[in-house]
Amino acid sequence: MTSAALTSRVGAASAAPTGGAPAPRKPGGIRRRDRVVGLLAVLPAFLIVVGFMAFPVGFALFISFTKTNGLTYEWRGLDNYIALFNDPIVHQVFLNNLKFLISVPLVIFAALIVSVLLFERVRGWKFFRVIFFLPNVLSVAVIGIMFRNAFGYYGGVNQALGLFGIEPIQFFTNGGTAIAIIILALVWAGFGYQALLLLAGLTSINPAVFEAAAIDGAGWWKRLWYITLPNIRRVLGFVFIINVLYTFTSLFGFVFVMTAGGPGFDTTTIDYLVYLRAFSSTNLGSGAALAVVLFLFIGILTLIQNKVFKLQEED
Amino acid sequence: MAVVEDDVVVSKRISSSRTQWPIFIALVVVAATIVYPLYFVIITSLRPNADYLQDPFGLPGEWTFDNYLRLAQTYGVGQAFLNSMFVSTTAVAIVLLLASLAGFALAKLPVPGTKYITATFVSVMLLPAPVLIIPVYLMLARLDLVGTYWGLILVYVATGLPFATFFLTLTFRGIPDEVIEAARIDGAGFFRIMWSIVRPMGSSGLATLAVLQFLGVWNELIFAFILIPEESMRLLTPTLASIGERFLTDQPLVSAGLFITASIPLILLAFASRYIMQGLQVGVSR
Repeated sequence: MTSAALTSRVGAASAAPTGGAPAPRKPGGIRRRDRVVGLLAVLPAFLIVVGFMAFPVGFALFISFTKTNGLTYEWRGLDNYIALFNDPIVHQVFLNNLKFLISVPLVIFAALIVSVLLFERVRGWKFFRVIFFLPNVLSVAVIGIMFRNAFGYYGGVNQALGLFGIEPIQFFTNGGTAIAIIILALVWAGFGYQALLLLAGLTSINPAVFEAAAIDGAGWWKRLWYITLPNIRRVLGFVFIINVLYTFTSLFGFVFVMTAGGPGFDTTTIDYLVYLRAFSSTNLGSGAALAVVLFLFIGILTLIQNKVFKLQEED
Repeated sequence: MAVVEDDVVVSKRISSSRTQWPIFIALVVVAATIVYPLYFVIITSLRPNADYLQDPFGLPGEWTFDNYLRLAQTYGVGQAFLNSMFVSTTAVAIVLLLASLAGFALAKLPVPGTKYITATFVSVMLLPAPVLIIPVYLMLARLDLVGTYWGLILVYVATGLPFATFFLTLTFRGIPDEVIEAARIDGAGFFRIMWSIVRPMGSSGLATLAVLQFLGVWNELIFAFILIPEESMRLLTPTLASIGERFLTDQPLVSAGLFITASIPLILLAFASRYIMQGLQVGVSR
């Protein structure tokens, strides 16, 4: 657009209505042009997101009502869902996911301790912050294999036990210990980042509250229990929910590289079962139905999060 | 903000100067639980297997780059590294470009239906990957894009865009309207404004986003594994996963693979931690 065209438009359109939108200084002609330019600018991103994120959700819903190998679709109504709810493997896998929830209090507890320590802002706290964030930049493939190596037959843990004359332990042939190690990996991978989230919550507490408490002679523990924790309960709630969500949607990587779901289905999680059903069974509909159920479950949790913690208003 | 932080420090120091040392030591202990495993991986990767089995916790009796060479020469890790680099840079570049356009429009232009467009971006942001696996695979198969980098890049762009657009909309809102208005009066068109005002003024946000998105794509495993079945075309994370599976008895070799995969994220954290920490403020929605 040349400046001459721009001024002429300004002159011509100064009386035109602006459609009630904000920015009253802009005349209608330019606004109309802006709308077109704006729409064109948003369009590529919007189309890709609709095409490859929103549409697939609908497509998954469709697939879940059919029996399909990906080429031909045979309408089956709710058959896949009914089969799902009667499937003992699905029951077991859902229970596995519940077992993985043990990681939630562990991660939060570790994160809480670290955040309270960081909040004291001792020398070098910014450096520590970067260190604690470190696992968060690593791939689950890296963290998962690192832990599987460490607890493998020839791994560091068994070598260390060997120093005390203890025979090597096969951690991954037992469902219970395998889950425990995946949980350990989860805690290791997650606590630092969440400590930083909690630290942000701590930082937003009005310092005057602490000063008042200090003047009243409240000790460190008292302040922690009666001031610090109650003041960050919202952030704590948020961290709690994202951990629960994470347990249901993001264990795939860990399970994939650490145990492949075994022994048997002992460490298979719902998201891993979706993958197994999708790529090792003749009926994709079953996997899609499981994915849809997972999606609804996550959706409900997210709604609860938004309703209860109202984090959107905070931003 | 700085004033508030100073207040905190002052008020803390009043009562807790005694506790400074125990807290520092506690932090060192926690930091060690993160640093030691990585140290162990790096040291292990630099020694022969026999040497490792003899004394896994001591320093290597013999230092060697042999594990890295074997991975690169025999197991195609060098190629996988380059593949990952190509896919990650391309996907991030496309995401940055498209999200900049959309973010600027949503922040500063009267786009019709802004509310619905934003709602779409926000509502798919937390979409769990498992939901997408089956339909996306079938769609890409129909488009003949399974087994090509472009299919994979398309998926990374699609999954990256919602957060990227949301993030850049927030960033670009911070650019004063007056500056844009002034440029318009000087006759700058849309692309001119994007390039000479939005890009430099939003550079910190763009850098943050670039780093976060790069980490996300570089570290991704599921789609990289599913969408590239051809072994010679594999990206780094699936290659690492298969090496980890095949060489249970050769810890030094697997450790070298771990370090190669972790190297780029670690370098980014070392040199761009400022941007990563900035992203954290907004990245709550990850």
